Parts: sequence; structure tokens; C-alpha cells
Amino acid sequence: MRLATILGGAVLLAVLLAVPLVVTNLFWLNLAITVLLWAALASAWNILGGLAGGLSLGHAAYFGIGAYVTTLLFLRLGISPWLGMWAGAALAAAIGAGLATITLRLRGPFFVLATLAFGIVIHIVAVNWREVTRGAAGLVLPFSGGPENMMFAGLAPYWYIGLALVGLCVGTTIAIRRSRLGYYLVALREDEDAARSLGVRVVQCKVIASAISAALTALAGTFYATFVQYIDPASTTQFNISVQIALVAIVGGMGTVIGPVLGALVVVPLGELSRAYLGGGPALMVYGLLLIVIVLAVPRGIAGGIESVTRHLRRRRNS
Amino acid sequence: MQLALQIVTNGLLLGGLYALLAVGLTLIFGVLRVVNFAHAEFMMLGMFGTYWIWRLAGIDPYLAVLLVVPLIFALGIIVDRLVLQRTIGAPEVTVVFATLGLSILMQNAALTMWTADIRSVTTDYSGMVFRAGGIRISVPMAISFVVAMMAAAALWLFLTRTLYGKAVQAVAQNREAAALMGIDVRRVYMWTFATAVAAAGAMGGLIAPLFTVYPTVGTSYIVAVFVIVVLGGLGSVPGAVLAALVIGLTEAIAGYLLGTAWAELATFIIFLAVLIARPQGFFGRRGAETFGGR
Amino acid sequence: MLEVDRITVDFHGLRAVNEVSFTLPQGRIFGLIGPNGAGKTTLFNAISGMVRPTSGAVRLNGQDLLRLGPAERNRLGLARTFQIVKPFGGLSVLDNVVVGALTRGLSVADAREMAQATLARLEMTRHAGAMAASLPLALRKRLEVARALATGPRVLMLDEIMGGLNPTEVNETLALIEALNAEGLTLLVIEHNMNAIMRIAETVLVLDGGRLIAEGPPAEVTRDPRVIAVYLGEPLEDA
Repeated sequence: MRLATILGGAVLLAVLLAVPLVVTNLFWLNLAITVLLWAALASAWNILGGLAGGLSLGHAAYFGIGAYVTTLLFLRLGISPWLGMWAGAALAAAIGAGLATITLRLRGPFFVLATLAFGIVIHIVAVNWREVTRGAAGLVLPFSGGPENMMFAGLAPYWYIGLALVGLCVGTTIAIRRSRLGYYLVALREDEDAARSLGVRVVQCKVIASAISAALTALAGTFYATFVQYIDPASTTQFNISVQIALVAIVGGMGTVIGPVLGALVVVPLGELSRAYLGGGPALMVYGLLLIVIVLAVPRGIAGGIESVTRHLRRRRNS
Repeated sequence: MQLALQIVTNGLLLGGLYALLAVGLTLIFGVLRVVNFAHAEFMMLGMFGTYWIWRLAGIDPYLAVLLVVPLIFALGIIVDRLVLQRTIGAPEVTVVFATLGLSILMQNAALTMWTADIRSVTTDYSGMVFRAGGIRISVPMAISFVVAMMAAAALWLFLTRTLYGKAVQAVAQNREAAALMGIDVRRVYMWTFATAVAAAGAMGGLIAPLFTVYPTVGTSYIVAVFVIVVLGGLGSVPGAVLAALVIGLTEAIAGYLLGTAWAELATFIIFLAVLIARPQGFFGRRGAETFGGR
Repeated sequence: MLEVDRITVDFHGLRAVNEVSFTLPQGRIFGLIGPNGAGKTTLFNAISGMVRPTSGAVRLNGQDLLRLGPAERNRLGLARTFQIVKPFGGLSVLDNVVVGALTRGLSVADAREMAQATLARLEMTRHAGAMAASLPLALRKRLEVARALATGPRVLMLDEIMGGLNPTEVNETLALIEALNAEGLTLLVIEHNMNAIMRIAETVLVLDGGRLIAEGPPAEVTRDPRVIAVYLGEPLEDA
């Protein structure tokens, strides 16, 4: 790796680690942590949606599974979320693998609809299975849990946990792209039949991508639960959460490593600003419009756009 | 027995209404290969249009619908030109998320303009009920049912008996071949989309006297309509009508047996089961689910 | 090595392949010819596992392939190219070949080396970094072969890889096929180019209307009256 890249990386890391020390305003720090949450969610989604080409509109289900499993293990059995989160991730992975297996042959809109239905099924269960989830009333994580239960007084610790989560998601994406799985996923995305004729085990690849994506999303669910310390179906499993996860990844650039992070950096503050200055309804109109414009004009998102521009400039310079 | 008949009747009536919504959605998929996530929003606009005309001009809702439908048709043409035409040949993410974005935009535009207040259209005959063999049928429901089925039938006749209708079918079956035969495919897309969303708007107008009107009302229907369209076979009009009746019945029966919350779950489980076991539904083209493609 | 045993493929009432049987011994080159629509590509699809035959069996070194999908068949040593080429457009030429090389179970780094070697073999090294989508047809066909070769097959099935090539390119491709065969690769080649078939195939199979109507050395087959009748009007030399 080039020296410039290593130095650049070190500087970036230092800056990121210093954020809570510099940003003391609670509102901004909170916003920054929210950006991290959505960056992680979009990055996790991207592994299935961007790398494997499986556009999911049901990822809120995994988010909710992570949040609820961790919370319930903590509330009912006293298990710390530091441990519980892996249980949530494992369950989500299993369900993700299962869903991939049954939706294998579905392409295009059929696949999307299946994930949508799946997401809503989980949402309905969350709302109605009141004996377990307390339905719309939600579950509260008592603050008395303390650091050993991932509950902190200040915001700074959450920044670092969020950073680690994003690091994990982005790192996983990079690792997959460089690995044999990464090659296989691109191949099956481009031409499934050609990939099969070259020995690519398409089923296995889709299942693995789905499982990893689900597990990481569930981890983000745990993070959310311990950060906000209150979860309910409306904030975890509802359809609009699935839409937003996909939206962030798409706006930022599906299939790229940095795209989902860029997407969060743009969409989250934009959402906050819109809500503050325009109010709830118009703010969502902005989201809708953003989605339409990006998807029609720049389907490869911000990252894709940057890539095109730099490639164009490089070609210009060379000619 | 009486109760069973009542439930069945309610279910079928509801199904008939769904049919008009489903027929449009299935046509859009069959011809344009687009899943119109915003379909129920056009229904919502039909509801609001009817409401406002009734409220401001005092016109009977069933007449107001006649004014609303052409407006929504025109809106459909605009949306097709601005958004849908640009999704042709575009990557999958564009096709899916363009109409999803449209749905979000439309819902929230309505929310912004008209607030989340729940409104109702009431007429002299709103509460009227007629009895047939011990079963109670609400008069507006019956009127809406009849009109909806007639509209669906008219659409079907248009598709199968007229030259233009056959052009539409040709495009649905093989876009390239149709183009080679001299059919203006983009025109067909535009008229199909506009007609389909106008049908959705009509359905909205027809249910305005029956159900409450609010900007997010679409979300209660869009799911059922997807299930219907997949169950009937994406692209099949008779399939959509048959499936609409089936789902209407299912909802009525499940609603009675399980209560509304869990009844919704039943609809979804059916949906997933159909997608997994028989994605082509009743009359859809086998293998369509594997093309993804356009 | 490759046994095709009474393969029949029906599509909705149309019998595309009708009880075709032949045995391709190890190290030989067989040609497969026939008019358009004779079922050659469908036969390939049945052998490679893309299409499920209505009846019949395919065996590779005695092993029945029926239950195996295309990916598994490739891992057992059966590779193919497609008549309408299917490059991974968004990947570079090198990466396209890497996908094939990875099947062998190598690490990514080793697969890249193998891919580079394969490209060198096919004299495509200078195109390694180009996007596959940017290649002209002749190079795409070559890439198709490179990719299939990278999987390390024992039997390679080529589907009209000379279509659209000029005479020089055809000669280069023929030389390549001969060289690969000399190294021990078994080949089944679909071609319309008669001269090419005459030159490289030891045995020629003739398919018409889904049936195998002739099998034998090229000189014999091209003089067979049934074959001539099927090709009535088409001269022996490639037009």
C-alpha cells in the first residue's frame, strides 16, 4: 500500500477518534451517531443489495430482530447486550439464509416483493405478539444497566461503538470484494448462467451474502436499542425503515464500499434539516423526490457519480 | 349459515372493489414490466378528488368520480412522461425505486396539502341497506361493486376486442416484435399507464362514500393489491379479477375468524407462499418471475 | 470420456433434441454440425446442465451427471462457451478469467496468476485491463474461451466461436484448438464453418431436426447424401 494511503488513513482515523472530544454539543454529537447508525445499516444492506444484486425492501426485519432479541435477552434473562447481540445476529443470519433459499429463483420485482412481504410479516408479528414484544407499547431498556450492559451516561461511548460497527460493516464489504465470494457475486450479478457455467455455486453465494447482510443489520439493531434505550415496532420493523435503509445505500452508491457511508452523510443531515425547516410531510416529500431524481439521473449514486467524473477527467488528461 | 353467507357476500363485494385496483396494476406490470409501487396513491388521489368535489361543489360522489377520472388520467400521462419513460431499459434499482419514490412523494404531498385529518363522504343513501334473503348489503357498497366490475369488464373488452387493445396485448407479450410490427411502444406504455392509474383513481372515487379518506390510506390497500396481482398472475386481467374475489373472501373470512390484525398476516403468508411455490399465480406466464427482465 | 445416451429435450410440445447418442473419447476432437435450428445448442445446454432433458443420460468418465447443475458439472471438468457470448461486462478482461480460475480452488492471488497465464496463452495480455464490455466481438469470443479454459476442464465444448471472424482470426483459433488438443484437452465443437471442421475434427456429428443423422470422419460425412440433402444449396466451402 502506498505511503500516502497509509498516512491518509491514519489521519482519518485520528480525526474520527477525536470527534467526541471536539464536538461537545449534544445535538450534533447525537446527529453524528445517527449518521454512523445509518452508515452501518446501509453498508450491511449493500452486501446483499449492491454486491449480490438482491434489492431488499425488508431489511427492517433484521434490524428489529437484532433489537428485540438483545432487549428481550437482557430484560428477561439478564444477559448483557454485549453477548446478546451475537445471538440476535445469529438468528438474523439464519433467517436471512432461509429467506434467500426460498426466494432463489425470483428475479427483479418478484424478489423485491418477496422481501417486502417478509419484512411486513415480521412487523405484524412484532406489533401483535404482545406477550413477548409488548406490541406498539414497546420495550424500555432501563438505564440502570450500566456499561457492562452497553448503557452509558454520555454519548461519547456510543460514538466509538458506532464507529466500530461501521468499521465492521465496511471492513466486511472490502473483505468480500477482494475474496473469491466477491468475484462470484459480481459474476452472478452480471450473468447468472455464465457464472454457473464457470463453476460458480450461485445458491451458496446468495445465501451467504444474505446471511452476512442480515447479521450485520441485526448488530445495528442492538446498537440502536442500547443507544435509544427504547424500541417499538414503529422505530424498528416498519416498512419505512426498510425503505430508508435502501434509500441511503442507493443515494450513496450501491455496490461500492464508500457509497453507503456517503449516503448516510448526505441523507441523515438532509432529513434532519428538512424536518426542522419544512416539517414532517414536506421532509418526506424531499426524500421521495431525492429517490426519484437519484435513481433516474445517477443510478450509481454519489460514489458512482464521483467515479465517473474521475474516470472522465483521467481520460481527458491522458488523451 | 346466515352469518357465513353474510361474510361471503361482504368478501365478494370487497373483492369486486379490489378488482378495479388490481386490474390496473397487473396491466402496468404486464405491459411496462414495472411494479407500480405508487398505484394506491393514485387511488388515494381519486378518493380525495371525489371528496373535494363533493365537499366544495356538493356534487354526488358517484358523479364526482366521472370528473375525477379524466384528471387522474392526465396526471398519469404526466407521470409517465416524466418518470416512467425514463425507467425503460434502466437498471433494476431504477425501475423499482422510481415508483417507490413516487409513492413517498405523493403520500407526503397529500399530507402536506390536506393534513392527516380523516375525512368522510356522506350522502343521503350512505347508511342505506337492502336485504336479500336475510343478508344485509349496503347500498353504496353495492353500487360501487357493480360499477367497479363493469369498469373491469369494459377494460377487458377493450383489450380483447379492439385493435388498440390488441396492440397493448402484443406489447405485453413481446415488446420487440410489437415494435417491429409498427406499434408505437412508447405510446402504448403511456396510454396503458394512464388508463391503469385512472382505473385506480376511479376505484378510489367509488370507495370514497364507503371508507374514510386520508393521505396514507393507500398503504392499507397496496399490500392486498400486490398479493392479488401476483396471485392472479402478473399481466393477466381475468386473473386479477379472480384473485381479487379470492382475496376479498379470504380477508372477510380471516377477519372474522382471526381478527383484523392476524388476518393481515394471513394475506402475507399467502403472498409469500404464492411467490415461492407458484409465482406465476393463476394465469401468469410461467417463468416471468425468472426474467426479472424487460 | 463423455457419453451422451439417448438425450431427448422437449420444449412445450416441440422436440428439440431426439434420442441423440454418441461417445466422445478422451483426447479427441468431435465436430457438431447441422442447419440452424437443428438442436445443436440445445444439446450443449442439456450436456452442460442448463436444460433438463426429458429423458436420457449424460456421463462424464462414467459418472452420471443428471442430478448435477452446471456449476457442479464444470467442477467435474466440463466447460463450455456460449454462442451468443456472455462476458461479465462490468469486469475487466483479467477479472473475467479470474472468475473461471477461482473454480479450481486456488487462492485469489493464485487465480489471478493463472488467469494471466491463460490470457498470455491466448495472446490477450495487452487487453487484460480493458473492460470486457469494450471488446470487439472477435476478442469477446476469445475471452469466452479463455474464461472456460481457466476452469481447468478436461472436456471443452465450443459453440460457434468462429462465427463472425475473418479468415486470419479463424486460422488463429484453429491453431489454438489444435494446440489445446495436443495438450490433452477433449473438445466438442459446434461450427458452421465447414473448412474449419474439416481441418480439426476427427469425427463429425450431424444433427438435423433434433436427430443425429450421420457420424463419421469429415470426408465421409460431407459426402453422405443425407447430409448433402439437409444442406441442399449450401456449398461445402464456407460462404
